[in-house]
Amino acid sequence: MANLIMYKLSPLRLASASFLQAYRTTTSKHFNPKFKKERAAKYLKVDLPNPNESYQDMAPEKMRQKMKERGILPPRPWMERPIYISATGGVFEPYVPPEGDGKASLVSTTRAKQTVQLLEKKSKSMMAVRKIKSFEEDFSTGEFCTKAQDIYIKAHEALAVDDKSALRLHVTEKAYPEFRHNSRLKTIRWKFIESLEPPRVVHARCTDIVSKENIFGQVTVRFHSRQQLAVYDRFGRLLHGSEILAKDVLEYIVFEKHLANMYGTWRIHAKIIPDWAPPKDPSMLTRVLPEPELEALPPPQAEAAAPAIADK
Amino acid sequence: MYADDICMDYSDRNRKVKVSAWVKAKTPKKFLEYNRKIYPPQAIGEEPRPAFVCHQKTNLKYSPKKLWYVASFVRGMTVDEAVKQLSFVNKKGAVFIKEAILEAQEKAVMGHNVEYKSNLWIAESFANKGMVVKGIRRHARQRMGEVRYMYSHYFVRLEEGKPPKDYYKRNDLTPQEQLDAWMEQMRKRKITNSY
Repeated sequence: MANLIMYKLSPLRLASASFLQAYRTTTSKHFNPKFKKERAAKYLKVDLPNPNESYQDMAPEKMRQKMKERGILPPRPWMERPIYISATGGVFEPYVPPEGDGKASLVSTTRAKQTVQLLEKKSKSMMAVRKIKSFEEDFSTGEFCTKAQDIYIKAHEALAVDDKSALRLHVTEKAYPEFRHNSRLKTIRWKFIESLEPPRVVHARCTDIVSKENIFGQVTVRFHSRQQLAVYDRFGRLLHGSEILAKDVLEYIVFEKHLANMYGTWRIHAKIIPDWAPPKDPSMLTRVLPEPELEALPPPQAEAAAPAIADK
Repeated sequence: MYADDICMDYSDRNRKVKVSAWVKAKTPKKFLEYNRKIYPPQAIGEEPRPAFVCHQKTNLKYSPKKLWYVASFVRGMTVDEAVKQLSFVNKKGAVFIKEAILEAQEKAVMGHNVEYKSNLWIAESFANKGMVVKGIRRHARQRMGEVRYMYSHYFVRLEEGKPPKDYYKRNDLTPQEQLDAWMEQMRKRKITNSY
């Protein structure tokens, strides 16, 4: 029996048939069609369920009918869910990094000027810092820089280990999906080798959400560090970066804290990517390009204009 | 990039109510867990591990015994060859399996870092029983019989690379292979009561 079926399935047999359209076997139909109705009447009709029915595409009337048949009540028409805003949705008045920051040679005057850029010169930032100090007495930009670097390192290490609860402590709700983007089912090896320049607070702002008293503080810190990153896919094959080479990274990270909340903490909120930032490394992943759209050729010229025979 | 966001695995895992609550059909979940297994990174000189993707098509209205024939037909073939052959297999199961293989191919390219969609072969292909709805039929002399309306689940695992030469070992071993096998057998022998 098995051999017979395998023979039927084997491609050689089917390939020999000259036509493959309306192909019938001799085993699917009863030899005497006269008693078809009586034969069918022997079987009790059963409503077979379709477990693969898609409920998304079903019309609401059909869904309602199905639920009525099963005696299921409709869902609640209103949705009362409390919403708690623990982080802002973006960066308020983002910092615009000056062009050529960190690119000048170490011994040049431009570089020296860049390192000495004081936050005191920026009035709005200073006012924001004063506002933060009104909530947090012992807040100082110098101390904050070291704390910010710790948070930065801990957040990245949590991401590398895929420790979601630890990541939530060091990263705001807005930045969490951006952090975890494309990191699923991958092994990330990240190492913070050293800081090339001490981290510096370059910008600060305070915003209030919904009510005047609900204040969030955002502080932008500039990091210039050397880091090593290697990303492997699910099967342990290298996707991005390298285990051996390190890179110099210049980043402007925005930290946010819910100042009005006494249990608020400083967490990474966003990253400022300037326009003049160097392009990212090309990805090792490839993609099939879509087929090029063929242009319609112009119609061939009418033959009446130039007769084929020369003497006419 | 594109790999993570449109990974089809999420739809399998976070699927809300694919199977309705009022039907006794259950969706098998263990096979798809293999898709979430992360292998340790490989050293630089090591042979790259071939990628694989596991896919399933559940609650197909077809008998598992009949589906087994088509499932075993497709084992050990490349994906292109399997799709080509299944287009002309005159069985209802062939349609399900062809769809499953094409979906699995798509999954492999989008979510599992397979570079060439044709560089896949069918490593595992099997079917098992889903739910069974029992009906009645009438026989002669007031006797009743049971009718089983069978459902099946189909599972397929595509692996990257070239398929093995002779998956079902239809051909005999070549003389060299026979010699190698004999040599290995001879070397496996142990002198009793020795180390």
